[in-house]
Order: sequence, then C-alpha cells, then structure tokens
Amino acid sequence: MTAFLLRRLSLALLVLALLSCGTYCFFAWQSPSGFVAGEGISANPHPPSPLEQYWAWVKGLWGGQTLDGILHRPTFTRNFTSEGPMLLDSLGHTLALLGYVLVLILLAAVAIALVAAARRGSLLDLVLRALSYLAWAVPAFLLALLVQGIVNRVGGSRGIGPFPLAGWPGQCPAAFGLNRGFLSPCPSAGTGAAYAWNVIRYTTLPAFTLAAGFVGVHARYLRTALLDALDQPYVTTARAKGLTERRVLLRHALRNSLVTFAGALLADVGAIFGAAMAVDYVFELNGLGSVFVSAFPVDMGSVNVNAIEPVILLTAILVLASSLLADLFVRWLDPRIRDRT
Amino acid sequence: MNAAPAPAALEPEEAAAVAARGYRRLALRRLVRQPATLAASFVLLGLVGAGILAPQVAPRGWNSIDLSGTWVNHGPTLASAHLLGTDNIGRDVLDRTLWGLHYSVQTAFVAGAGATLLALLLGVWAGYRGGWADAALMRLADLVTGFPILVTMIAAFVWLRPITVWKTTLVFTFAIWPFAARALRARAASIAAEEYVQAAQALGSSDLRIVVRHVLPNAAGTVVVAGTSLLGQIVLIESMAEFFGFGVPSVTRPTLGNLIAEATRGGLFDAVSIGLGWWTWATPMLALVLLLAAVNLIGDGLDTALNPRSSRA
Repeated sequence: MTAFLLRRLSLALLVLALLSCGTYCFFAWQSPSGFVAGEGISANPHPPSPLEQYWAWVKGLWGGQTLDGILHRPTFTRNFTSEGPMLLDSLGHTLALLGYVLVLILLAAVAIALVAAARRGSLLDLVLRALSYLAWAVPAFLLALLVQGIVNRVGGSRGIGPFPLAGWPGQCPAAFGLNRGFLSPCPSAGTGAAYAWNVIRYTTLPAFTLAAGFVGVHARYLRTALLDALDQPYVTTARAKGLTERRVLLRHALRNSLVTFAGALLADVGAIFGAAMAVDYVFELNGLGSVFVSAFPVDMGSVNVNAIEPVILLTAILVLASSLLADLFVRWLDPRIRDRT
Repeated sequence: MNAAPAPAALEPEEAAAVAARGYRRLALRRLVRQPATLAASFVLLGLVGAGILAPQVAPRGWNSIDLSGTWVNHGPTLASAHLLGTDNIGRDVLDRTLWGLHYSVQTAFVAGAGATLLALLLGVWAGYRGGWADAALMRLADLVTGFPILVTMIAAFVWLRPITVWKTTLVFTFAIWPFAARALRARAASIAAEEYVQAAQALGSSDLRIVVRHVLPNAAGTVVVAGTSLLGQIVLIESMAEFFGFGVPSVTRPTLGNLIAEATRGGLFDAVSIGLGWWTWATPMLALVLLLAAVNLIGDGLDTALNPRSSRA
C-alpha cells in the first residue's frame, strides 16, 4: 500500500515538474522578450531566456515569495465592476462547484440507475436514455446559456426564487453595467452559516446545469454494472436465502457495482472540470475558468505567464489528485485489486 | 474500469447465419433496423450537405450587409430574401449559419479523419507490438485524455496565432488522437492474441502482412466507431474554444462556435438587452445541437451494429 502510494505520488510529482517547466517556458517564449516575472517589460537589452525565467520562478516558489504572490494575486475577470478575486478564492469557487456537482451526480445517478435496473423498460429507463442523449447533444456552455436565458425570462434579472442568475456572494455580475437591476451596491457575502447558504444559493443553478450533462452517462454506466451484478451467482444465493429484492439490490448488487461506477466518475473529473470552466464563465462564478479565460487578452497580443501558469498547475493538480483518489477508492472498495500489488 | 467479460461463443445457428450472409450485410441490416440511427443519418447528411454546398446555397458570403433600412435586426420571415432574419448590422443569419456549418464541418471531418488515421497507426502498432512502445503510448494517452483538453487547445491556439481554419484542423488532429488510440490499441492487442494471428506468424508471415490482412479488417468496426466519436468531440470542443473567444474570429471565418459567441457575449440576457434578436443565436445553436446529436446517435448505432456483443446498455 505504502509502496503503491509512494510510486503514484512520485510519478505525479514528476508529471507536475515536467508540465510546469514545459508550459512556463512555452508561454514565456510566446510573450514578448524582456517580460520579467512580476516586473512587466524591462529595458534589459539581454532579456532572460524562458528557462532562466522559469528557474527564477521556481526559486521564488521555494522561498515562498512567489507562492504567496500566486495565491493572493488579484485576478481580472470579465466581472469588472467588482475587484477581481484572489486566485486562492477562485480555486475555492471551483472546488465548491465541483464538490456540489459530484454530490449531485452521485445521488441522481445512483437513484436513477437503481430504479432503471429494478424496472427495465419503464418510464424512468426512458428518461435515463433521454438524459444521456441530452448530454451528448448539448454542450455545457450552451446548456448554461439556455438555463440562464430561461431563468431570466421566468424569474427576471435577479434570478428565480433564492437562486441568483449569476455571480458569487459579494461579487455581483455587472457586464454592461446598469441593465441588470443591480443598481444598488452588491449585498455582502455574510459570514459563517449565512455565507455557506449564500454559496449554495449562488452555485445551485450552475451545479444543476453542469450535473445535467453528466448524470445520464454515469447513470447508464451504473445501470449496466447493476444489471451485470444481478446476473451473478451471489445474487441468486442472496435471493435463495429469502432476502427481499430491495435488500438484494442495495446490499449486494449496488455495493459491487459501486467500484466500477466510482472509478468511472472520478476518472471523468478532467472532463467535468473542462465543462465547469464553461459554466463558471457563463454564470460568472469567478472560478478558475473565468480567471483562465480572462488571463488571455482578447487579441492574444501578449500573454502573462505568471497569470496563466498557476491556473494550469492547479488544474493539473486537481486532475492528478482525482485520478489518485479514484485508484485509492477502488482499492479500498475492491480487495481483489488491493491484494494484487 | 474493469475488463469486460469475454464474449460468449456464437450459437450454432447464429454462426451459420453469419457464414451464409456475411458480417457486413448483417451489420448493415442491424443498422437499418434502428430508426433513430437512420433518422440521425438523414439529419447528418442534410447538415453536411448544406455545409459543403454553402458557396452555392449562400453565394452572398458571410459578411454581406443588406443596407436597406428594413433589413437591420429583422426577425425571421420564412419567405423573402432573408429567410431567418438578419442580425443587428443587417447580415443574413441563415447565410452566416450555413458558412459556419461549412467551416465547422470541414474542420471536424478533416481533423477527424487525420486523427483517426494517426490513432490507428499508433494504436495498432502499440497494441500489436506491446512492450515499451505500448506502455509509453498509453501513458501519453492517459496524460492527454485526463487533462482538460480545452486548456491544451487554448495553449495551442496561443502558439499558432493568428489562427486560421487550417491551423485549427491541424491542432485538432494532433491533440485529439489519443482519445481514440486507447480503444484501437485494446482491439489490436486482443486480435494479436488470437489463434489465427499465431497461425499466420507460425507460417512465417511478416508483421506488415499480418497487420494489413488480419488485424486491420478485424478492427474495422472499432475504427469506424472511434472515428465517429472523435468527430463529435471535435465539434464540441471547437465550439467551446470558439465560445471563449479563442480560435478563428467570426469576421474572418464563421464557425458555429464563434457565431454563438458573437450573438451571446455576456449571456443571453445581455444579447436581448442590447437588441439582438433571439434568431441570431438560436439558429447556430440549433445547427450545433442537431449536428452533435446526429453524430453521437450514429456513433451509438454503429457501435450496436458492428459490435453486437458489446455490453453497452
């Protein structure tokens, strides 16, 4: 177990080091020469090479200066009337959205798959099919735009019920300034429980939009796994023991199907993250997606390496961590895989 | 994911039917028996046809402005010179969507074909040969498919600016093949372990001959399904990158993604509040959704028809 963890962690670190060096040098090479980390264009006639810039960046990271500068770097998003969020906050926004979405997908997929597997060919089975086709046909950004448009039509520019149309607690959306009914100053984000409730309020519409695209696919995976499990001899044994169908499904079939399902879900985090960037952008959550997109100037004239690099690295860390988590989870659930190495 | 259970042997009468009719005819029959796939094929044919024929159907081009006063931001008429209305500076929405379809379809098909070929070469090589090449290729595929491809694409677009349709095509070819390589490699590896391949090896056939005569024909179904799924992914990711404002600007070359982005800057409600009609964004959106739905339905149908024993629900 320790050997496995050590091997995976060192591999992840190697990948991160290679990726950071590659992307940093790439974007440093792309930006105009003489762009020194944190100092803008210098008059230096012999600008440092991309590798030298990268090395300076790494040394700063080691000394803690760059790290502090990175995590508390004010960012610029298209939500331009409020001050841009700190990068650390953006990461928090993205993690909140991802967590919410994963819980939604998990709950909805398990519920739908259970009913669909128990009653093959029922109305719910049909709904499941429709949901997965929807996910195929409608990209996340399109669904987000449509949800926003419909909510705007039904509930007005302030959103529907307690769920606002866009923005983050304390950071109201204000594209095109005055035409969204936010003439009064943005309400404060609150603290403690009030803040948590506000976060839930603001992330509900984006999270449901994002989840709609993934529930169908994963419910179908789980349904297939459940149907496979229901054909296994141990299910026949369980039924022969006189267990209720409900108990057979929940305690025997579902438990064994969760391995496949959890692995597939966690392996999909990269794709969910990509879609989350789009949803984040449309709903102006000021998460990593908004920050990343805004880090590139519209005309793509020059690129600020130091604004992009942390976002790329955070994305890579998220993806690597979720894949490691998937492996650990599957090993924990399935002793056969655990004992193999 | 766990390995799929090994397919059961053919039933005697089924084997007789395959022998009598041939695999391809049976697959075709299974395909035609799915009404959804058939309908999707017609939709795709219509969309691709309209896209390819854009220079003939919409000879005015995508930037021609109708200067007569009534034709600014006019709703769909369904009858006159501007069937689906005009945008806020008097450009025909249908013309622009057709040209957007033209370039989106061109990118998807050319890049999809290129990426499938690349995935086929590398995947079959890795799966047939095994060893270090196999391991290296699979780790690379893990890396590329795990990382959000949007980020990869944006980095490539920054590198290759100013971006053109052909550069987009090239970027997609080289960025997206790992998504198909895994399935093709798995298929090639399973074929390489078959007895007829061992028999051919024992008879002294060269590797090239075995790959061309035995591996490729047997992997054809997987190739077609993987290629179709790449097609859908390219359309999806391209529209997403264009929506964010990376890629080709809509003035130079319209694509479905940048047409949607152009009409919905800052969200749908802003589009409405600055006076853009719903038809300006609904038309390219409908084209995109139909294209994606058709491609994916066909992929699913082909999978069922060509690999009838796959355990897909």
